[in-house]
Amino acid sequence: MPHRTHAIVTDKEKCIGCVTCSMACPTKAIRVRSKLAEVDDELCIDCGTCMEVCRYDAMRPRTSSPADLKRFKYTVALPSLTLYAQFGKEFHPGQALHALRKIGFDETYDISWMCEMVMGATDAYLSESTGPWPKISVTCPALLRLVQIRYPDLIPHLVPIETPRELAAKLRRRRVAAEKGLDPAEIGMFFITPCTAIIHSIVAPVGLEASHLDGAFSIADLYGPLLKSMKEDPGSDPVDTVSVRGLRWAMAGGEISGMRNANSMTVRGLHDVIYVFDRIEAGTFSSVDFIEAYICPDGCVSGGLTVAGRYTAQRNLQEAYRLLGDQTLVKEEKVRSLLREHFFDFEAEIKARPVRPLARDLREAIALKREKDALMERLPRKDCAACGAPDCETLADDIVRGKAQLSDCVFVRLEALEKEKSAEQGGDHD
Amino acid sequence: MTQPIPTSRPAGEAKTDEVLYRESFRIVGNDFEHGGEVATRVKAILKQLGFPTDAIRRLSIANFEAEMNVIMYAAEGSLELAVLPTAVRVTVSDRGQGIPDIEWAMQEGHSTATPEMRARGFGAGLGLPNIRRNSDEFNIESTVGVGTVLRYVVYANGKAGS
Repeated sequence: MPHRTHAIVTDKEKCIGCVTCSMACPTKAIRVRSKLAEVDDELCIDCGTCMEVCRYDAMRPRTSSPADLKRFKYTVALPSLTLYAQFGKEFHPGQALHALRKIGFDETYDISWMCEMVMGATDAYLSESTGPWPKISVTCPALLRLVQIRYPDLIPHLVPIETPRELAAKLRRRRVAAEKGLDPAEIGMFFITPCTAIIHSIVAPVGLEASHLDGAFSIADLYGPLLKSMKEDPGSDPVDTVSVRGLRWAMAGGEISGMRNANSMTVRGLHDVIYVFDRIEAGTFSSVDFIEAYICPDGCVSGGLTVAGRYTAQRNLQEAYRLLGDQTLVKEEKVRSLLREHFFDFEAEIKARPVRPLARDLREAIALKREKDALMERLPRKDCAACGAPDCETLADDIVRGKAQLSDCVFVRLEALEKEKSAEQGGDHD
Repeated sequence: MTQPIPTSRPAGEAKTDEVLYRESFRIVGNDFEHGGEVATRVKAILKQLGFPTDAIRRLSIANFEAEMNVIMYAAEGSLELAVLPTAVRVTVSDRGQGIPDIEWAMQEGHSTATPEMRARGFGAGLGLPNIRRNSDEFNIESTVGVGTVLRYVVYANGKAGS
């Protein structure tokens, strides 16, 4: 069996086999079988929706544990910008960075300036690119997976610039190794993540041979210890390296707000992403240069592994911007020289992972499609999900693929029982 | 009218214009709200049937343009999908105003779209040329006051990079 790389695991003790997650899953990746939610690895984009809707806390993120830190001689925490927005407006980024060191990391590394660098690199890329338009940001790893699975034709639209978190880890590991005289493998680079999609992007990266990060802790898991530490020790690390322009990236709309190219759009939330991407595929929006898109409704501040609600988080960030002033750090020459070194480039090709057709052979696929259409006539179309598939159409699809049976449908079974009964009663009269 | 479809099989071995699957979709004039839905449904079907992604992409662009043309200029119409062994043939017919000068309409930038349509982002005059560019066979017949019949074919392994 292939090693499961996804960031969400079902807790067998807690899962009661209700179908809430299966019905909510945007890619229809979950089936409930024998009272257990099973996730199809091929379809899962690690968006975290199942985790969010589960009332039994049965969908758990596969985060790093304190024991993972012990595998390394030196550990670096790279917090998502969203971490800064969690603790109320009286706390600023410097305190969060300070507290991360207090709770056990040897060093913290702020990535906001790298965000600003990538904004500059993206501007440079857009000014030289010849299309196809619009270009699409690769920041949101759940979005990247969605493109691979559902919109493989849009792969040439993706901006081939690595994400700030990966670039920051790459750069910092190199520097720490040189400064401390350590083997790069002895340094542990850990992301403090707002979402499950980033965890999966570390285990199974896209556009990279291997991630520059070694693991991820969730903001939710570290929130308590960090808050405690911040209250006990109000110290702060220097914030002169924090870029406010970069910091805006935590919110949807932030990436384009820091770019020069203004012929751009922000697409928020999976529903809108599907609406817009369907149209990009059909050739509309080609007059737009750049699209920043997130599976979560407000970008990273609305990630599933955060504590502060997305509205509070946005308020907190606004306060941080005000406190720090308009801190812009990156010089254009620096971006240009790194561009020449291909520092920002993707290291691997992004592969399409289109959903399997019904069959390899066209005639066979058509036969199965007809079979599926016929099954749809027999199914109740109530989309009750009691069979374990999220809706009748998905059950029909599973049946023709040999993964389910018509008798999995409770209505079909009930109908058969009633027929049997009336046949028996009919027999009595004979 | 229909050119023979290239096939890797020796000539005569397989009938390449045999329709393996057919489905018809209704398009309602002025129904901007549902504009693009037929193209999306056709795309979903072809993905299930395993057509190459590039062919699906080109066909989806053509279908979307054709569907929007019906919505913008006709009272009603239909899109008929015909899956052939190595190609997809689409026939879009409408009952509408028709096109008085097809040659003129086939040139890029030529459009009779109203300001209202342009405000919605349509009417750049790229519709018909775009359908032709993305298909491997293209045919249009139109009668003023009666309607238009558009027929185009996209080969499974047709022209690359359009």
